[in-house]
Amino acid sequence: MNLKSFNRALWVYHINTGSCNGCDIEILAVLTPRYDAERFGIMLVGSPRHADVLLVTGPVGRSMADNVRRVYEQTPDPKVVMAVGNCGVEGDVFHEAYSLVGPIDQIIPVDVYVPGCPPRPEAIIEGVVKAWAKLETLARQEVS
Amino acid sequence: MEKLNPQGIVDSFKKALGGGFINGEVYEREVAVKKNRFRRIWIFVKREAFHEAVQHLCRIQEYPHLVIISSSDLGSDVELIYHFTIYYGNHLEEISVGIRITLDKKDLKIPTITDIIPGAIFTERETQEMMGVEVTDIPDGRRLFLEGDLPENIHPWRKDDKKLEKYLRVLPGRKPKGKE
Amino acid sequence: MAVNNTEKTTYTIPVGPIHPALKEPIQLDLEIDGEQVVDVDIHLGQVHRSIEWLGMNRNNPVQSIYLAERICGICNVCHPFCLVLAVEQAADIVVPERAEYIRVIAAEMERIHSHILWAGVAAHEIGFDTVFYLTWRVREEIMDMIEYVFGNRITKAIYQFGGVRRDITEEQIPRLKQGLDYYKSIFEQLRRIFLEDETVKMRCRNVGILPYEDAMKLVTVGPTVRASGVPKDVRQDQAYSAYADLDIKAITPDVVTGTVVGDVYDRIIVRLLEVAQSIEIIEDCIKNMPEGPILTEPKMPRLLKLLTDAEGEGVGRVEAPRGEDIHYVRMEAGVSTLSTWKVRAPTYINLVAVPTILKGMQIADVPIAFASIDPCMSCTNRAIITDKATGKKSVVDYETMHRLSVQKTKELQR
Repeated sequence: MNLKSFNRALWVYHINTGSCNGCDIEILAVLTPRYDAERFGIMLVGSPRHADVLLVTGPVGRSMADNVRRVYEQTPDPKVVMAVGNCGVEGDVFHEAYSLVGPIDQIIPVDVYVPGCPPRPEAIIEGVVKAWAKLETLARQEVS
Repeated sequence: MEKLNPQGIVDSFKKALGGGFINGEVYEREVAVKKNRFRRIWIFVKREAFHEAVQHLCRIQEYPHLVIISSSDLGSDVELIYHFTIYYGNHLEEISVGIRITLDKKDLKIPTITDIIPGAIFTERETQEMMGVEVTDIPDGRRLFLEGDLPENIHPWRKDDKKLEKYLRVLPGRKPKGKE
Repeated sequence: MAVNNTEKTTYTIPVGPIHPALKEPIQLDLEIDGEQVVDVDIHLGQVHRSIEWLGMNRNNPVQSIYLAERICGICNVCHPFCLVLAVEQAADIVVPERAEYIRVIAAEMERIHSHILWAGVAAHEIGFDTVFYLTWRVREEIMDMIEYVFGNRITKAIYQFGGVRRDITEEQIPRLKQGLDYYKSIFEQLRRIFLEDETVKMRCRNVGILPYEDAMKLVTVGPTVRASGVPKDVRQDQAYSAYADLDIKAITPDVVTGTVVGDVYDRIIVRLLEVAQSIEIIEDCIKNMPEGPILTEPKMPRLLKLLTDAEGEGVGRVEAPRGEDIHYVRMEAGVSTLSTWKVRAPTYINLVAVPTILKGMQIADVPIAFASIDPCMSCTNRAIITDKATGKKSVVDYETMHRLSVQKTKELQR
């Protein structure tokens, strides 16, 4: 993949819609000194209004669906949504549960899927790089 | 009260409850290389004697450790088991005690024990919403887990609850359960 | 608090459910009077994934092991361990002795990783981000050891009815010993950072106190109750698996400080010392592991037939890193699923004690006091804390509370 410019620091906001925390601790492990994504400028922020990328994990429960939609609408454009982990991608072992309304792309549009239960930190980094490339394309389209 | 062995505990319950006591069973099992024994007692009581049974347990051990209330749907009855443990704090001396009550499905009521053990509030609320057993005199009877998910009067642990079927989510591309 | 003619009311602050600090959805309604928390109400239900229903209606028992693993990603060894113990009691399956020792090694490795993870999160709540990064760097060593022996970092699936699926061979033992030596050498540094630093003492001493009487009445479990002076530990009281051969003592904080206060500092002491205890247990198990097979019934169709025909009930109790975990199972002959399956995770029962812990705290202390019980919401469900009183609701997000907590540390350091 040919990334021409790294002139943008990527700010990431993380939403947990009811997952088992396996994917969430692998996301935190990406920022710690072993895998160290922070040296590229990737940072976790505390509010969706500052974010460029939304990292969503977990099968969406019925009580969380509305909250996820509201966070998606609060995030300013251009934005990229990543679904991390099998639960968010297609439901994994939790399909047919009575309290879930389906994988994440039934609620908000998803751009990058990272499968795995939980995905390794290296896989998450590759997903973020793909999201970065897509974000650059979207930003260039807006300007032109 | 001084420490009793499992059979002694069963006998003390029989003496304290009289007619409310139905049966008592002792279960033991050997574990690992040194073959230490794991011990458990089941006490079957009637609903009228249930509160007295819990108070008798508090006389045997000062603060019995309530683990959970489990409920099983057995067709026309519902069986509740209150899992306790006593004699904790010392090496290999703990004994599990399970107090079991069988209720008819047409009359699902049980008195609360939060006056004796305040920590039982969550597990009583869960039994109330998931199985439909009414806990009388409960201080806070709101639903615990299903608040945003399902409407009232749907009890997921019952085997004969047909209203749950329409909430089952089937992923796109798969066939729903039972229609393969 | 003086009450005069003008009505003095308290504010209600709902926090969450999506927020940046705790990685789990949790909604808090805090009722505050000025800066102090007055009362707390707890609502649950956000991470409810109907696992027990799926186990009773859709899965055969072997599939339920993989479902039980996904109840929680941090404590994902204790839930299959419990389920396997319960079904083995119900179906009367005998486990070979070598498998018991391997099970204990897996459980203790999980305890080390979970406590170091918690130490990092607690440091982050106080505001020591550097310590957070340091402890998570230290944690990578145990994750490497787990992956080397069991195949994956988090969801490993080594438990099976009647034993374990993978063996620990002679060639793998030197790597395990090297990892344990690394932890022994770094333990002194961690102990100095967490127990002797002045700022940690100022933030954590006398914060979030749970008295002895309340801990007994509210039936708390795990390091939370051991920090209040009650020596409850399932590995000591009703030993299961290979713990029955080892001599485990429950750790209470008077081993280090001489007194028991029951605050956040005591919980840090208990968890750090348990890491040292786990290292000793793993070394003992490696030394004394007997030879023999690791699985009673290796062929899957025969195992499934055995489980379908089994009839009985069983209770499995395990000491997870957060407390006592229990699964109750009932099986009927001819039914291919588990007939009744009841799970009670340790955070479920520790949440009942949260109002007592948080009462009287300042808002800036709420993150560290709440994190000190080591809440694992996916094991339990969501919690909302509401305070009493005033009809007024203002929305404050957890980021503000976290920022207040960090600010307080900076002021104390001046």
